[in-house]
Amino acid sequence: MLSILVILPSVQYVFAAEEPGEYLDRRVEIWNLFFRMMTVAFVVGAVVSGTLIWLIWRFRESHPKAKPTSYEEKGVW
Amino acid sequence: MVLELAKPRPIWYIMFSTHHTDIGLLYMITSLAFLFMGGALAIAIRMELFYPGVQFIADSMTFNRMFTIHGTTMIFLFILPFASGVGNYFVPIIVRYKDMAYPKLNAIAFWMIPPAGALVWLSFADFGWYAQPPYSLISSPAPAADMWIFGLKILGVSSILGAINFIVTILKCKHPDLPLSKMPLLGWSFLSSSIIMIVAMPTFAAALLMLLMDRMGVTGFFNPAMGGDPIAYAHLFWFTFHPEVYVLVIPAIGMMYEIIPRFSRKPIFSQGSGMFAFIMLALVSFASWGHHMFATGMSFTEKTVFMIGTLAAVPASAMHVFNFLATMWGGRIKFATPMMWATGGIALFFAAGAGGVVNTAMPLDFITHDSYWVVGHFHLFVFGTIAFGSIGFLYYMFPYITGRMYHEKLGQVHFILSFVGAVMVFFTQHILGLFGMPRRVFDYPPIPEWIAMNQLAGVGAFLILAGSVIFLGNLIYSSGKGKDADMDDPFGLGGKYYYPYQAKTPHH
Repeated sequence: MLSILVILPSVQYVFAAEEPGEYLDRRVEIWNLFFRMMTVAFVVGAVVSGTLIWLIWRFRESHPKAKPTSYEEKGVW
Repeated sequence: MVLELAKPRPIWYIMFSTHHTDIGLLYMITSLAFLFMGGALAIAIRMELFYPGVQFIADSMTFNRMFTIHGTTMIFLFILPFASGVGNYFVPIIVRYKDMAYPKLNAIAFWMIPPAGALVWLSFADFGWYAQPPYSLISSPAPAADMWIFGLKILGVSSILGAINFIVTILKCKHPDLPLSKMPLLGWSFLSSSIIMIVAMPTFAAALLMLLMDRMGVTGFFNPAMGGDPIAYAHLFWFTFHPEVYVLVIPAIGMMYEIIPRFSRKPIFSQGSGMFAFIMLALVSFASWGHHMFATGMSFTEKTVFMIGTLAAVPASAMHVFNFLATMWGGRIKFATPMMWATGGIALFFAAGAGGVVNTAMPLDFITHDSYWVVGHFHLFVFGTIAFGSIGFLYYMFPYITGRMYHEKLGQVHFILSFVGAVMVFFTQHILGLFGMPRRVFDYPPIPEWIAMNQLAGVGAFLILAGSVIFLGNLIYSSGKGKDADMDDPFGLGGKYYYPYQAKTPHH
């Protein structure tokens, strides 16, 4: 969703680019789009990877604070 | 439970059976055999590239043959049949039906694979796994190329028959008390991937037929000398094979949906978002094939459309990852071997997806195009995500198939070697691509960075090989001499699940 939100403002440049003389502008815009996407990708990547590592550490069954889930008591999940 | 080795059945009972679990077993054994065969070629390729210059492969043509058959084997003879094997086991159980909808058709679909595999391997064709014309028309020696084409035709028909069977079994044979919205996500993964298969595969079947006729000189669809257009083949090929990427990955995600809640001791966080994401992936898989062809002279507008179409897969893929993370959150996770593979698969899936976003951004695509970056990205998906999900699920199914437990410590060592190896090989290949090394090369100039990174990738490949040897030994030894599994709860997780139901499914 973030990627789509980043792309949408740039779409107008793409479809307005049929006239001569705008070639360089389109390249500038697309590189600009790329760097913005990369910024989003690296931030999201760091957050998701960090969350995964933390989840593995915190919710392993050998963690001192681990406790049975509510579903274990019912025996069905 | 179909193959209780303590009470063995004659092998031909299984070979000529039309029962879904027997056919599932045949699919999996066959696919694992091809995994090791294709893996041996990969090791040979990495050994050849360990140093610049010629090592032990005689010439570039032989090298081309090796990576062609490696790619064809891994995609068509390992990943697809393995997923079909899992589907054969679980789809009838999930939908609570006695078998697949068409058991004999199911057996026919499986028995097409061994002869097709033999054709592919005996051909040892040299034109890459996508047989790109005009090379495949004018230079590729016959009969190798023709045998490969026939092998792929047979595999395509087998895949289509299998997909029809899955769709009919799920939609028409499902128990009336089980609404589709409550069907486990593994079932949804097979439904969506089968629909993609049905829509996508006929295009490639037609393209192969056109290619064969071109090779025979009857037509000139893709032959520039006869007024044909090789780019048309690329369009037809990628119209099938970009969606095919999702056919490969969606069942692996479905397998993770079985493992992660089970070992987190919680239900899946959101059944609805998982279903929605599968449907979305099935739809957007057809909106992105052109991103493989940015360098073929497409207009800027076309490239932008395909770039946005490809990026549309990001939200759906992210929904799966967030669903997995949210399921693990608050659980009491047992990191047995299947869960380790599934978790590693999530991490590598995310990394591969991030690389995919870079690939589809057309400015960078021109930098990474035809470089080792592409090799690293593709393998991070097929090995890091699909093979990780599949191997994890094989460990998960092992006690249900054999009635015995695999050796847990060896399974964990296998995972660690494979995970570290995958990172060393495929992350390194991304960087190697950015350093300018082209893919599909037999030799390379002695640039110090290229040598170092190829050697790092080579060491990673050997780690994967070591893990694979342990894996094979574990499977063989534990099948015969492993501890008896508690069939109600082989992993000691507690709770009730639907798998023991399969023990009640009668053979026929």
